[in-house]
Formats: sequence, C-alpha cells, structure tokens
Amino acid sequence: MNVACPPAVQSGGWWQPFAAFDGVAVLHVDLAPDALNEQRAWAWLDPAERQRADQFRHGGAKRQYVLCRSALRSLLCDALSCRNEQLAFRASKHGKPSAFVGGSKSAFGFNVSHGGRHGLIALAPDGTVGVDVEERSAPRNLDVLVDTVLSPGERAEVMAAAGDEKLRLFLNLWTMKEALSKARGVGMSMDVSGFEIPHGMLRGTRGGVFCFPDVPDLTWALHNVGTDDFAAAVACTTQAVCDAS
Amino acid sequence: MSSTEERLRALIDANLEIEGRASGQPISLDLSLADAGVSSTDLVAFWQLVCEEFSMDIPAEVFAELATPGDLIAHLDADAG
Ligand SMILES: CC(C)(COP(=O)(O)OP(=O)(O)OC[C@H]1O[C@@H](n2cnc3c(N)ncnc32)[C@H](O)[C@@H]1OP(=O)(O)O)[C@@H](O)C(=O)NCCC(=O)NCCS
Repeated sequence: MNVACPPAVQSGGWWQPFAAFDGVAVLHVDLAPDALNEQRAWAWLDPAERQRADQFRHGGAKRQYVLCRSALRSLLCDALSCRNEQLAFRASKHGKPSAFVGGSKSAFGFNVSHGGRHGLIALAPDGTVGVDVEERSAPRNLDVLVDTVLSPGERAEVMAAAGDEKLRLFLNLWTMKEALSKARGVGMSMDVSGFEIPHGMLRGTRGGVFCFPDVPDLTWALHNVGTDDFAAAVACTTQAVCDAS
Repeated sequence: MSSTEERLRALIDANLEIEGRASGQPISLDLSLADAGVSSTDLVAFWQLVCEEFSMDIPAEVFAELATPGDLIAHLDADAG
C-alpha cells in the first residue's frame, strides 16, 4: 500500500494521513477521549450538527461523531476551497451524507466510519467511496453474524479457521462488505450475504476488484487497510475490470 | 404469553449494549438505537435474533427503516395481526 497522501490532505490536531491509492486519500482520526480536542472540534460544527451530537445519550458515540465530523469539515474546506460556514451536509434516503457548498451539491466523494478509538475518513475527489472500521474485539454474537452476513463459501472458510484467526477473518470480511454497501450508499438496507468478497482477499490479498451481482457494469476497487488494532476496508469506483472470483 | 414489547425488551437486554445504561434500567422505546451508540455488528445480529424470536422474515431494507424499538414493535404487531 502506498502511504503517501495528496498534498492537499493535511494533518490536523486529531487526524492524520493513513493511506492513499487509486486517487483516494484515507485519514485516521484519533477518537480517544481528549477534552481540548473535543472542545476545538465542537466549534467547527453547525447548529444542526450540534443538535445531532446532543441527541447521543452518552459520551462515546457523541465524541466519535464530533471528532469525525469536524475533521471531515476541515478536510473538505481545504479540498473544496470553501469556508466552514459555506459547507453543509445532506443525507440520502439511507443516510449517506453528501457535501453542499453555498447550497450546491459537490461531486467530491467522501465517507466516514468510526469504531471505538479509531475513525477513518476516505476522500475520493473524482469518485464514489465507502469506508468501514471495526476494532479487533469479538462482537457479542459472532456465530449469529457469521450465519447472517456471509455467503455459504465465506462461512465455510471462517468456520474452518482456528482460534483468533476466525475473528480476524470475520472482521476482515465484515469491513469489506460494509465498505462496499456504504460506497453504494445503501448501508444496512442491503443483505450482504448475497455477494462474495473476491477470493484472493479472503486469503490475504490486500486489494481486489468487485462488482455487485445486480449492477455488473459498475466496478469497485476494494482495499483491505486493516492493522493489528483494527479491521478496515475502503471501496471506491474504478475503471478496472471485475475480478473473476 | 408475553407481549411483543416484553419479548423485545428481553432481546435488547440480552443482546445490545446501550451506552451508559445501568443494568436493569429499561430502555425508552423512542430511542434510536443508532443514537444510543449500538454498533452495526450488534444491530445486524439483533435483526437476525428478532427474526428468530418472532418467526418472521424481516427483509434487511425493511429493518433498516425501523429506527427505534417502538417502530419495530409496531412493525411486528402489524405483521402478526
Ligand atoms: C449507518 C450505517 C450504514 C453504518 O453503521 P456503522 O457501521 O455502525 O457506522 P460507521 O461508523 O461505519 O459509519 C457511520 C457513518 O457512515 C455514514 N453513513 C450513514 N449512513 C450511510 C449510508 N447509508 N451509506 C454510506 N454511509 C453512511 C455517516 O457519515 C456516518 O457517520 P456520521 O453519522 O458520524 O456522519 C448503519 O448503522 C445503518 O444503516 N443504520 C440504520 C439502521 C438502523 O439503525 N436500524 C435499527 C433498527 S431497530
């Protein structure tokens, strides 16, 4: 993976360049509790965002939202050469946000994910992108999840894995499927057991090309960007030809 | 027989971590599970567990539209009735 980022993508107090490929820049957002950063982040939010932040009943989810949204604002203001007050967000039917500058919709692609202490922001100036991150801890109902979100072939691979490898493999597949469904903007409304991650990526390859069975003409570059601390994946539109899986 | 609400509350208590909720504290039915800090892995497993508990096949796109436990109870009762 190439870890250089386009020059326009700057580090901030709590975010920094993490990866770059296929015209996509990925930033890591540090979501550890930090009163000063949270105070600085709050100042970037517009009234609707502050209202949304206040709807989170408790600290963790609110902190994740505030730190990621403010980092996103700062990055998009740089990329779109606009002032923070000119930038607004509107969500699609299923919740995927798009940016608006001075009331006009921007075609600049971006997506955000937060899990525990880690946030990721993917920026795709010329494309459509989805990102997902999960800390490497066992979800409560792992076996139910394996049955629900994996295809029969993926399920067999995960069930054949021993010890920690089972969780590692599951989280890799889960984040790749989430990144793809978030790229498409459908979020949880898509039954992700109906498609398979390219086989090479199941075996450890970090990149592949994917097509949804119901939209074969649109291809997605899929990247596993996970680390020892978290599983993570990014999906973005590409001109490349779909991998035969 | 328990009501839909009682069965759903039991499933939530056993399977969802609602941030900051003391154990035994009842959840409010109009609380959006996303705003309560429920993770997407917990939500997806919960979807499956609800389908099993109520012997119903709720499509993913229908479940995703149901933001709160109250919405879910209304959907389950309408489907059963
Ligand atoms: C939002 C959702 C798609 C992803 O959830 P997740 O994996 O927990 O969250 P992540 O941290 O990866 O991503 C959240 C971010 O994705 C973005 N997002 C939201 N909906 C999206 C969608 N449909 N497509 C792409 N991105 C989306 C938002 O930027 C959000 O962050 P923000 O609110 O801080 O701006 C999923 O939870 C969902 O569809 N929820 C609605 C359904 C629901 O809650 N049902 C409950 C029934 S009782």
